[in-house]
Amino acid sequence: MIFTGLLLLAVALLGAPLFAVIAAGAVFAFGRADIDQIAVVMEIYRIADTPVLLAIPLFTFAGFILGESRAPNRLVRLSDALLGWMPGGLAVIALVTCALFTAFTGASGVTIVAMGALLYPALRDAGYRENFSLGLVTTSGSLGLLFAPSLPLILYGIVAEVSVDRLFIAGILPGSLMVLALGLWSFREGRFLQKSAAARPAFSAREALAAVRAAIWEIPLPIIVLGGVYSGFFAVSEAAAVTVIYVLIVEMLIYREIPFKRLPGVMRESMVLVGGILVILGASLASTNAMIDAQVPTKLFDFVTAHVSSKLSFLILLNVFLLGLGTMLDVFSALIIVVPLLLPLAAGYGIEPIHLGMIFLANMQIGYCTPPVGMNLFIASYRFDKPIVTLYRATLPWLLILFACVLVITYWPWLSMVLVR
Amino acid sequence: MNPSRAAARAWEGQGFFGRTLRLLGSIEDALLVILLATMIGLAAWQIVARNLMDTAIIWGDPLLRVLVLWVGFLGAVAAARDDRQINVDVLSRFVDEPWRSRIRVLTDLFTAAVSAFLAWQAFRFVKDAWAYEEMAFSSVPMWLTASVLPLAFGLLAMRYILLTGFHLRRGFGGKAGE
Repeated sequence: MIFTGLLLLAVALLGAPLFAVIAAGAVFAFGRADIDQIAVVMEIYRIADTPVLLAIPLFTFAGFILGESRAPNRLVRLSDALLGWMPGGLAVIALVTCALFTAFTGASGVTIVAMGALLYPALRDAGYRENFSLGLVTTSGSLGLLFAPSLPLILYGIVAEVSVDRLFIAGILPGSLMVLALGLWSFREGRFLQKSAAARPAFSAREALAAVRAAIWEIPLPIIVLGGVYSGFFAVSEAAAVTVIYVLIVEMLIYREIPFKRLPGVMRESMVLVGGILVILGASLASTNAMIDAQVPTKLFDFVTAHVSSKLSFLILLNVFLLGLGTMLDVFSALIIVVPLLLPLAAGYGIEPIHLGMIFLANMQIGYCTPPVGMNLFIASYRFDKPIVTLYRATLPWLLILFACVLVITYWPWLSMVLVR
Repeated sequence: MNPSRAAARAWEGQGFFGRTLRLLGSIEDALLVILLATMIGLAAWQIVARNLMDTAIIWGDPLLRVLVLWVGFLGAVAAARDDRQINVDVLSRFVDEPWRSRIRVLTDLFTAAVSAFLAWQAFRFVKDAWAYEEMAFSSVPMWLTASVLPLAFGLLAMRYILLTGFHLRRGFGGKAGE
């Protein structure tokens, strides 16, 4: 069993698709337990029995449509009109708009491509240092992970069997903490900038009004989604359906920025991402079941509780483990594979599933930007045509701040739990 | 997305074989788009019906769940065609050609074998559902709703066999893969 495990790990590290590695693991495990391997397929078919999953293709598609439209431009203009007057204003705008955009597009790299392309030149023009600007647009590519309706948040709810509505609420404070901390850092940079050059525009009511008018159809979107879900008016998958219809009407019929013949292409592109995630989820339903049959979670639990005595040391280990995991795996596969094993462990140390979700996603967010495989680094390197080593250096201060936030989120459960109690 | 489309062309090859593959790809894409559009339409209709008319199609919700399965697996097939399955992408950043392709031969073969095995198990699953006349919901038989699994795993197996061939030529065959 250990030999098979190591072999599969080797195949995974060589770059085999994760769904195949996980499915192979399930096939071997069922084989060892003398269970007909048709069970693997029966588990995969359970995807058709999970109602909340409907939210994933719908929100992803809506996010891709928003990414294709000029919504990012309108969002930046609006925030500029509202926040551009304050020191570090542009940087704060960048953070806020990226977080919002990521929440809707699911941290799939769309943020860096769509928003970064607008914000990076703007930051440089306003006199921000190159490294500061690069670090900002790179780390912001995953900043909205904890805000509704981000895909990883929904996926965590599905895998951990926690109500997605409650996760949406729980993410508000930890997510805000991250935006606030990075915002303060930007504010500091902005004051430093003031001494050198770059005049900030004064607040103009006329421009603010014009910007609001330009984005008038997109402004209600977060209100519809969040208001609908938070108030209990919509189920999560219903909110997703409403979002898709609303976005389609606004971007295709009102703004008319995406021609109809482009639509099938966008549909396909978005479903490539969804398919990549769902096929791993399917394989993992089978492998998790096989692991439970082999009592892996129980053995793991016994092993860990025998060696780790306190909740505090468990949390420290958890952080180290998740940060390492985040450097190797993207948030989706990490979540699908590891969360079923972590849940019983965390429960043993009295960590609530919702709090675990916040810890998990906050750690993974850092993983997006850490070498060797942080996805944001590569997308940014490609998009802004900078060597990867430059990006390592540029993102370092941002990562340290995010790391401090992760520690706060991990060791202060109140932050994650106060709104859902 | 253009680079991936171009890469897809490269390993699909030219001539009659390549044309057939591309036709198959277009059919897969068309099915994917039609099913997603159906999903969006049906999901929207259910909300309107439930809130304004106080009714909803009874089989609407189970159908939506089946559509998620179909769209997901057709999406996975499309991801394989673009060679964009989610993986741990460490090695390819540190290894250059021709070794990158040589390693790919190994991982492609592995993926093809796993997919083929799952396609066979999925075929058995569908056959059993047929034999026992199991129903997915209302009068829709389960063999029909589950048939996407053997189909998708079969297509995945085929794509990875083709990818194996492509990386074999590129890793060992000199100029064939240039």
